[in-house]
Amino acid sequence: QALPSRSGPSSILVSPRQKGNPILNSVRSAAWEYSDIPADYVLGATTCALFLSLKYHRLHPEYIYNRIRDLKGQYKLRVLLTMVDIENHEETLRELSKTSLINNVTIMLCWSAQEAGRYLELFKTFEHAAPTSIRAQQSTSYSDNLVDFITVPRSINKTDALGLVSNFGSIRTAINASPEEIGMIAGWGEKKVQRWCNAVREPFRVQK
Amino acid sequence: MTNDERAPVKLSLPLEFQQDIFKELREEDELVIIARGLGLLRIVTNLLHSYDAAGNNLILLIGADDRENVWIGEALAEHAAISMSPRARGLSLVNTDLMSVGTREKMYAQGGIFSITSRILIVDFLSGLLNPETVSGVVVLHAEKVIATSLEAFILRIYRQKNKAGFLKAFSDSPEPFTTGFTPLTNMMKNLFLQKPALYPRFHVTVAKSLEGRKKAEVIELEVPMTDTMRDIQNAVLECVEASISELRKNNTGIEMEDWTLDSALHRNFDTIIRRQLDPVWHRTSFKTRQVVRDLTLLRTILHALLSYDSVDFNRYLDTVLAASQPPPGSTRQNQSPWLFLDAANTIFTTAKRRVYTGKVSNASITDLNSVPDSLEPVLEELPKWAQLAEILQEIEQDAYFNPVVHDSSNGSILIMCGDQATCRQLREYLQTMYVRPAGAEQKEDVEEGPSASYMMRRKLRNYLSWKSSFSKVSAALFSENQKAINGSTEQRLQSGKASRPPPNKRRRVRGGASGGAGPGRAETGAVRIAGDRDAHIASLMAELQPTEIEAEQKTEIGVDPLENMDDYYELFDMNDLIVIHPYEGDMDEHVLEETKPRYVIMYEPDAAFIRRIEVYRSSHTDRTVKVFFMYYGGSVEEQRYLSAVRREKDAFTRLIRERGNMAMTINNASLDPQESFLRTINTRIAGGGRLAATEQPPRVVVDVREFRSSLPSLLHARSIVIVPCMLTVGDYVLTPNICIERKSVRDLIGSFANGRLFNQVEAMMEHYKHPMLLIEFDQNKSFTLEPFSDLSAPATTSGLAAVPDLQSKLVMLTLAFPRLKIIWSSSPYQTAEIFSELKKGADEPDPLRAVQLGLDPNLQGDEMRTFNQTSQDLLRAIPGVNEKVAMTLMLETESLTEVANMEEGELAKLVGTEAARRIWRFFNRNFSGDTGEELFASLTQI
Repeated sequence: QALPSRSGPSSILVSPRQKGNPILNSVRSAAWEYSDIPADYVLGATTCALFLSLKYHRLHPEYIYNRIRDLKGQYKLRVLLTMVDIENHEETLRELSKTSLINNVTIMLCWSAQEAGRYLELFKTFEHAAPTSIRAQQSTSYSDNLVDFITVPRSINKTDALGLVSNFGSIRTAINASPEEIGMIAGWGEKKVQRWCNAVREPFRVQK
Repeated sequence: MTNDERAPVKLSLPLEFQQDIFKELREEDELVIIARGLGLLRIVTNLLHSYDAAGNNLILLIGADDRENVWIGEALAEHAAISMSPRARGLSLVNTDLMSVGTREKMYAQGGIFSITSRILIVDFLSGLLNPETVSGVVVLHAEKVIATSLEAFILRIYRQKNKAGFLKAFSDSPEPFTTGFTPLTNMMKNLFLQKPALYPRFHVTVAKSLEGRKKAEVIELEVPMTDTMRDIQNAVLECVEASISELRKNNTGIEMEDWTLDSALHRNFDTIIRRQLDPVWHRTSFKTRQVVRDLTLLRTILHALLSYDSVDFNRYLDTVLAASQPPPGSTRQNQSPWLFLDAANTIFTTAKRRVYTGKVSNASITDLNSVPDSLEPVLEELPKWAQLAEILQEIEQDAYFNPVVHDSSNGSILIMCGDQATCRQLREYLQTMYVRPAGAEQKEDVEEGPSASYMMRRKLRNYLSWKSSFSKVSAALFSENQKAINGSTEQRLQSGKASRPPPNKRRRVRGGASGGAGPGRAETGAVRIAGDRDAHIASLMAELQPTEIEAEQKTEIGVDPLENMDDYYELFDMNDLIVIHPYEGDMDEHVLEETKPRYVIMYEPDAAFIRRIEVYRSSHTDRTVKVFFMYYGGSVEEQRYLSAVRREKDAFTRLIRERGNMAMTINNASLDPQESFLRTINTRIAGGGRLAATEQPPRVVVDVREFRSSLPSLLHARSIVIVPCMLTVGDYVLTPNICIERKSVRDLIGSFANGRLFNQVEAMMEHYKHPMLLIEFDQNKSFTLEPFSDLSAPATTSGLAAVPDLQSKLVMLTLAFPRLKIIWSSSPYQTAEIFSELKKGADEPDPLRAVQLGLDPNLQGDEMRTFNQTSQDLLRAIPGVNEKVAMTLMLETESLTEVANMEEGELAKLVGTEAARRIWRFFNRNFSGDTGEELFASLTQI
């Protein structure tokens, strides 16, 4: 009756070692079950995660290396889900950055159990999703686009954007308007006018 | 220092303290902090000239902005002409737009004085184009900006490491930044590699003596009362500010909030102060807090606008503000700015409107109080300062007539100084038209024929009304979706009601529509919203405002002078009967004074620095008399702001003097210990027994030149890593032949996720490097966490997430798409520098040549035109329909954004294809004004 699963089980596999980890309480939208696996969590056919609390890492620095070694090069994406629960994290994180390079793990930092749980959910949810939403600009409403566009140069805000468009009727006219004309709009001081006009007029290419 | 002290150099430093500073600076290196308005640039130019005249040198001027460059360039040329020094070469500018590497190299070889953009100078220093050892001296302007991580500090460090003999002088005329933090002055001196600070506040003995010794400038202070309505609005705004501050206090306990008072809220940088205080806990602050911080900035702008804009423009500005603060889609009542809910906010908007027009009380409406007045009547309140200004001018005229001044070298012209260009324009128009009477006013006899702004105001109101009708269409078109999301039912009624006119006694609360009641309404959510006026009312108001014959005779367009037929119509003005209106422009004001040589100066707005400039001017020219009128609104924010600015500067100097007294001597030893620098090059990878061999290369990192805007290259250099600036196509930093790093601040990260740039960048790195890495760099003083999730409680269904994914989900998507990509999390640039050297340990050094060539489009190879301006590039990317490929094509094929905007759809389609062309063209050409509003309204929903 069920569709044949394309890859891997449909729920997050959790190693019994993780029993009692509070982050499991925050995994709500994805199903999870215990299973005997070398990693802490298996999030897809080629994705696994190890959980590391920096507090623990400070006490047992060798632990994580043993765990990484146990993975034996399986899985394509090996996430090291790291919980930042200490204040002086700099040195530890520096060391882990180096480790991630050598041992081929990807570090994801989280600052709370909820966030950690959420990452687990996300990895599972997006297992088969295409990365469309980070691939190109998402279309939003025209007004958002318009405001985004006009507010690109520094210090121009939404109110100014509205003033500009309402004065000139369309963006094209606003772009062609002379600095004096723009300066007459309430709220557009000299600096803003200059920034806007420069941004619009300056050639794309830097003339060498 | 050069030996050409004997060279005849003519200086223009008439005052004693200026000469003192100059002498001190010639003798030794120091940081000069001087009070604003005491002529800093004049000292700088004289100093530069003294070196320039000596010739045979290479002097770098860093930190100067465009205007200062122009000023210094002109002044140097002038000095050179006066002293007739054959070896003076004047100032050469180096900024991106002008010259190529080759030209720069040639120029440096020639020597002279250069003002160089920091970003170019650092690259030239690092790439060896300009050898620091050949530089004979560096002059730093705006020394207050040289903080530890700044480019300027980086430049000075390289300069001092390689060159111990050259001179180094730093200048600043704003003491305030030197007083925040722990031993700020000492730290600044360390960044500047200087030992000795010289402080010249206004109360310095020599300064005071030079300015007060001889005839002082005559200053007449005029306190202008505000009108009642203005005071009402000001009080209401202040109430809103106060409410916002208490809101902040309530929501953020545990932060030092002593400074969060109404008084300090009036400062220019109050919101930045709050922002800085909140930064460490920014992730924990609620959406509301952030909004309140934004609101404070807005409220301050409103306060400023109240005093400087005329009533019509002010009302128009408020209309825009209101429309822009319409709630975003999907928001609830909680998401609106809190101050909009206050009664005070209502007062602001109603009073502002009442200053422009009110309902006319006709006989019909007296009997029926409930009915909406049938027509509107213009009120057109004038700013009190206008009348005062006219009065002063009259007085000056009389004064000039009755006591003709003994002959002196002043011009007899009148200089009016005001805050900004807009005020300038306003005053110019007022002065031109103040004696023009609209016909209607003539009928009222008895009224004394005083100056009035009624002509100008009527013209403005006409413009306003025509603007307003199109504006309501624009805002309706733009924000209808948002509003619909909140209360769909009301919109429904609006749509259906449009055809038939509503009964006159039924007040309809409709935002921005063409129909509705006359007073401001409240939205269903309770916040103030724009109340439209009925078409009929507007029409009657318009009829009333029809230009009378007299008005029609006046020149229509005032403010913009087309400079055509220059020779036929223009001649030089006689300087004796001239009124010059000019905005305050920092040091440039000195030029204005020198050029106009005014006998009378009217300060339309208070400005502490300008008063000093007049003092300096007055004391420098004993033969000129100046009479100054100084105007401000009594009991206004303007007055308070002026007083507190003066006080703050004085406090800052006092603190600096105290700190200088306690300052420990700092000895800069920038060079690296020779032993260490040898050890660093030793290759430790020789497993036991091998002969120790020093590799030839010190550690190095290839850095993209665009990355020099961040502080990381400077910090890497501080860790004695050699920086190789290159134009990289793939990645930002190349650490080893295998490791390539793309750096993103959290802000950039969000931005480049949104427009898909990051995906492409990572894709390119994956293709060319074995270990591509994404560096997520947090700010030094900001919280080391990502923003909290948009909504934790909402179920994370796939469809819901796909619609509006948050930052975390995007990161997850990225790692799933590129399993090989590693992420480096760094809490600050300092930390990043450490991580980089950790990653570099024991690895080979990168090859800059290869790094540059990777990922280059073979067609573009060797093309000099590969660098693009960042802002216009970002603008281009913000256009819907523009992806990486389209952006690249447009940047290469077209000249500027203006050109793209003016292209026809067909032309665009040839370049980027029909689909993208259609979207781009529609983006630029959508028309809001005119009659298309209705169609727009309908079509907006389809996009």
